[in-house]
Amino acid sequence: MKNKRMPLIELRNVSKIYTQYGTEIVALNNVSLKVLPGEFVSIVGPSGSGKSTLLHCMGLLDRPTKGKVFVEGRDTSKITGKEIATLRGKKIGFVFQNYNLIPRLTVLDNVILPGLIIGKDEAKLTSKALELLEEVGIKHRADHKGVHLSGGEQQRVAIARALINDPIVIIADEPTGALDSESSSEIMELLAKLNKDRKVTIVFVSHDLDIARYGRRNILLKDGKIIKDSKESRLEEILKEASKTSKEVWR
Amino acid sequence: MSISRSFAWGEIKEHKFIYAIIIVVIGLTMTSFILENAYLNYMMQVVNDTTKILTADAAITSPECNIRDLYGTQPTIENAREIANRIEKALPEYKTAIRVTAQATYGAGASGEAVDGCTIQGINPEEDEKVTNIKNKIVEGRFFEKDDPILRGHTPLYIEVKGPGNLPDFTYGSGQRLLKYDKPYPIIVGATAAKIHPSIIKVGNVLNIIISTSGRGTKYATVTVKIIGLYESGTPTLDAMIWFMHADSLREIKGYGEIKGNEWHIPGVGTFRGFCPIEVDRNIGDTILVKGPEPLHQLDPIGQAEQLKNALESIVPGMKIFSWHDLLVYAAGSMQDVVTIMLWGSMAVTLLLCGAAIKYVMDSIVIRKTREIGSLKAFGARDRTIFKIFLYQGLFIGSLAGILGILISVLVMNIINWYGVSVQFIAGTQLDIGFVVNWLTIVIALVLPVLLSILAASMPAKRASMLPPVEALRKGEMAL
Repeated sequence: MKNKRMPLIELRNVSKIYTQYGTEIVALNNVSLKVLPGEFVSIVGPSGSGKSTLLHCMGLLDRPTKGKVFVEGRDTSKITGKEIATLRGKKIGFVFQNYNLIPRLTVLDNVILPGLIIGKDEAKLTSKALELLEEVGIKHRADHKGVHLSGGEQQRVAIARALINDPIVIIADEPTGALDSESSSEIMELLAKLNKDRKVTIVFVSHDLDIARYGRRNILLKDGKIIKDSKESRLEEILKEASKTSKEVWR
Repeated sequence: MSISRSFAWGEIKEHKFIYAIIIVVIGLTMTSFILENAYLNYMMQVVNDTTKILTADAAITSPECNIRDLYGTQPTIENAREIANRIEKALPEYKTAIRVTAQATYGAGASGEAVDGCTIQGINPEEDEKVTNIKNKIVEGRFFEKDDPILRGHTPLYIEVKGPGNLPDFTYGSGQRLLKYDKPYPIIVGATAAKIHPSIIKVGNVLNIIISTSGRGTKYATVTVKIIGLYESGTPTLDAMIWFMHADSLREIKGYGEIKGNEWHIPGVGTFRGFCPIEVDRNIGDTILVKGPEPLHQLDPIGQAEQLKNALESIVPGMKIFSWHDLLVYAAGSMQDVVTIMLWGSMAVTLLLCGAAIKYVMDSIVIRKTREIGSLKAFGARDRTIFKIFLYQGLFIGSLAGILGILISVLVMNIINWYGVSVQFIAGTQLDIGFVVNWLTIVIALVLPVLLSILAASMPAKRASMLPPVEALRKGEMAL
């Protein structure tokens, strides 16, 4: 039986170093982090602090230069690219800032797409997708093309799509970055509800401190390092710390 | 349908206009390929059917001769007469004629005429008439007569040159000067040559020609000839190339005989030393033509041609025997080769352009769809899945183009065959012949565009599949 408190994703001494025009850029500097089941984690930090890189490493979209990423205790540094792709498809759901719906597909087809990629049965996927669409409040648009929906509606579809393979964690990169404040609140309410009702583990990045407040655990990142983590500090302390850097460019 | 095939088809539908153009262009190229091949097959059928109607005759040459030499000069057969007699004795219903052959150039550079070439066939008029019925083909002037000055008791001016590049230096020089008092050899010229060079090729004209006297070697003779007649064989291209002299004239020029003395006396002109009179040897020739009995319709004259060859081989073992069917097949084959080279050349250019277009379109799709590729990878798509999305596009495009090409070809051929293609032969027999398509052509027409499209697609496919997911997502964002 699986240990309930075993981290779903664990980063151990992870560094990511890019070389740009001959200069080394340290995007992540020796970061260690555990994401436990049922957590709702927000990652905040100024531009260039390494938020997206951290998310990409957690989502197995990128490999760290140093350190290790464990998914359900499995060391991903020792597996092939093919296995990484399979693991990513089965274990992680993605929500992107620009929704990334396939324009020529219907809402329903967009939702079942990740399931088809990992070889699940289309009929079962369709019935599950309709349930998910109902849950995110967009079932009535199932047969519409994704591009004909509003930003908020598209992001709801993207959330349903992220849930189709029952991932262990949803990784959301600026999920409200392209939305107005009303739609942003709706999307965050939806994510919070999914976390609360379905116990879906969610990690999201946001440059908006008000949006970051939706997270039940908040992490502040600066210069590729975790400065504060609400596991040890209270949210208000983090926000206070974040406000010190408010003169820096946030995104 | 797999995710790769489904996405590939989706991409094709999304880019249907540009892909439709490419598919139509490749399809039409394949149509052209199939129709040309069908036409070539049709030509071979015509050759076979022509052989059925016309003749089953043969030509015997020395063993080192190849079929191409039948249009030029054949190597000497020292015992040609003996061979001809042997055949006539063994096969009394067959007729034979010995020919002497040479290649020549003519023209009048000084008067602005271009230098041209011809093959001269030396014939014994009476003997050849029985085999080829050549006298009936004279359209202007006359045929050879008994009192024609076939032999003048001299050898013409011989010049050895080191290479063809030296030819113009002597062609219009010394030969013309030395022979201007000579009585020319009579010659019969193809009517097409007269149309090409009307100022110098006409009945009654005298001109100097350079004859190659040593087969493929470099020994030439300059002789003066007088055009006594024009002939039409029914094949204009042959009538531009093939001229006729008396066989003995050519024997004299080529030195087939015994040289007597070392002086040449021209009455009323003088005596020239070093130009030796020759007594020609009529046993020597270059080719022996054989005329078989007239084939009857529907009796398999192609098989008869083979029978004739077999019979002759037993009579004259070791000699090279070509039937007219061989010649027709060779002639059609030569045309086929030219058409095939042109066909493949034009097809290669079109297909390369289409391949480049496919690659260009897919490259642009990869750039525009970078974010989509990144998303698919984020959802668990493997590199191979992405690779196959583009490869399947190539497969679909190639298959559609091939099928389109085949369908159009079948349609065109059916329409043409519906109205009928018929050939009116000389004998008055009419054959209805349709396009003939073989399976190999159909397979090539299907496989070639598929291979091309897959090859063209493989480069963008590789590029797309190798995109790291995070890079694809980031570049996709930038491309927005």
